[in-house]
Amino acid sequence: MFVFNVFSEFLVRFLAFSLLIFPMSCYADFTNNLRWSLDASARLNQNDALDNTSRIYALGLDSHKVFTSSNGDVGYGVGQFYYTKLSNHIPVPFLFTSKDDGELIIREAHLNYTAGPNWLPNIRVGHFVLPFGLEESIDTNGRLLDYSHGKNLGAKLDWGLGLNKVVSQVEYSVSYTLGGKDKAKSVDGSYAVSGRIGSLSHLDFVVGLSIYDGNIDDVSRKRLALDWQYYWGTWGLLGELALGEDNKKSQRMQKEKYSLLELNKTSINGQFKLYSQFIVSDKENQKSTDKLINIGFSYQFNTQLELSMSGRKQFNNPSMGQKQQLLRVQLRVRY
Amino acid sequence: MKIRFVSLMLIVMLILISGNVNAIAYCSLRDPVAQIGKLFPQKTNQLSIVKTVDDNTRAQVQIALPSNDLHFSELGQHTLYIAMLGKEALGYVHVRSEQSDWGLVEIVWAIDKNLRISNFVFQRCRSPKKKIAEDSGFKAMFVGKNYQELKELLSDDGVTAKIDVLEKAQNAPELANVVLRCALKTLLLTEILWGEELEKL
Repeated sequence: MFVFNVFSEFLVRFLAFSLLIFPMSCYADFTNNLRWSLDASARLNQNDALDNTSRIYALGLDSHKVFTSSNGDVGYGVGQFYYTKLSNHIPVPFLFTSKDDGELIIREAHLNYTAGPNWLPNIRVGHFVLPFGLEESIDTNGRLLDYSHGKNLGAKLDWGLGLNKVVSQVEYSVSYTLGGKDKAKSVDGSYAVSGRIGSLSHLDFVVGLSIYDGNIDDVSRKRLALDWQYYWGTWGLLGELALGEDNKKSQRMQKEKYSLLELNKTSINGQFKLYSQFIVSDKENQKSTDKLINIGFSYQFNTQLELSMSGRKQFNNPSMGQKQQLLRVQLRVRY
Repeated sequence: MKIRFVSLMLIVMLILISGNVNAIAYCSLRDPVAQIGKLFPQKTNQLSIVKTVDDNTRAQVQIALPSNDLHFSELGQHTLYIAMLGKEALGYVHVRSEQSDWGLVEIVWAIDKNLRISNFVFQRCRSPKKKIAEDSGFKAMFVGKNYQELKELLSDDGVTAKIDVLEKAQNAPELANVVLRCALKTLLLTEILWGEELEKL
């Protein structure tokens, strides 16, 4: 595994560099087919379980560039670079060193080579969301809407390589990543293999099957998950069921179950979105099953300004600590 | 380090300033790969050309098609795809949204090199009558027509189709109105924003 990780690290860095240099030389004018936005958000969190009020501010550049040659598209790149500042935020997220810390954070930064023949998968390299479950077709970066991706897998985004393709009736994405999360390297033998195959994500009924095997932060995790989305008019019924096991060093293997059911409604003009989620999470060594409800909405005033709000409440009494009770409000401006 | 990053952001903003905006994060952008393959099964690749739909473009649409407007999600940067067979352009693919009683309807339009509708498929349509609109009889009302010919199908109110079109639409007149408005805006925007570039191909 060590040799494989060293090889993968080298490959990630080499391909990232090559793919960056090659397409830039294909097209003289870099601003052609370039999308970019400044993205600023302020989030207020009222955590009743910890009796704490905190704020998170983010200012970043979100960009997307299609690289082309005379034969057509070569691929595309996504770059999201944010300065994120915490204010009295506890518990301190892994990217930060204190409750008032501020850090430069790379969200997504990857290149996807798409110019191969029909039989060849697209090749992705960089920092990307692990292909697994609902998150694969519904992006939640920078939003209050969440599908517990990072909590389930140990990381939401990771550095590595991936293969993906949309074929006539099916789309798939698989990846091998280094398990370093924000670091483009393997840490103490960390790695993650993740993949999802599903029906086409633009359809009214979407079903997907995902697998995951990884070792991140000294925790080995295996997962098998089924996700689905069904849309009827302006209503959506979504779900994810993941079964698996975790193995922390010095602890025995414990089985885990995670399920999420979401009902959502979008206004006919698409400006207002309301969702309610019921989440059940069960760990073999935990005395009680966690049951949470998450209700939220977002309102898009125009292309630039969005207000969102969500409330989370835990129903069971946890074996340790207080019941989760969290209220969050976010204002997001894209320029 | 942090001050440098914020300064860099401001410099980038000043250099690239153009009011380019989109409400959604760019990592969630998805090309309609399956639909392009369906509309142009022989294509070997696609060539993307990204242009900005701004308030000026919106005003041009309002003048050309009175009583019509672009949905706010239609502002920002959008892609026209050229379906390629090797180095030859087969036609164009343009995705547009139109508001309906069942939420936004997203239609993937295939356009020939003379800017006539050659086919269309739905990217998203939550109408219970979607099947009717996928029927070749329904599609025939729009396929083969250019902007002027489609405009003749509009009634005097500028937003609904003429009676004879609605009669041909079987039991889906509302969907016929949505598809017609979407087709008109698609061809108009293709001409306004991409016309010059397409002539060079």
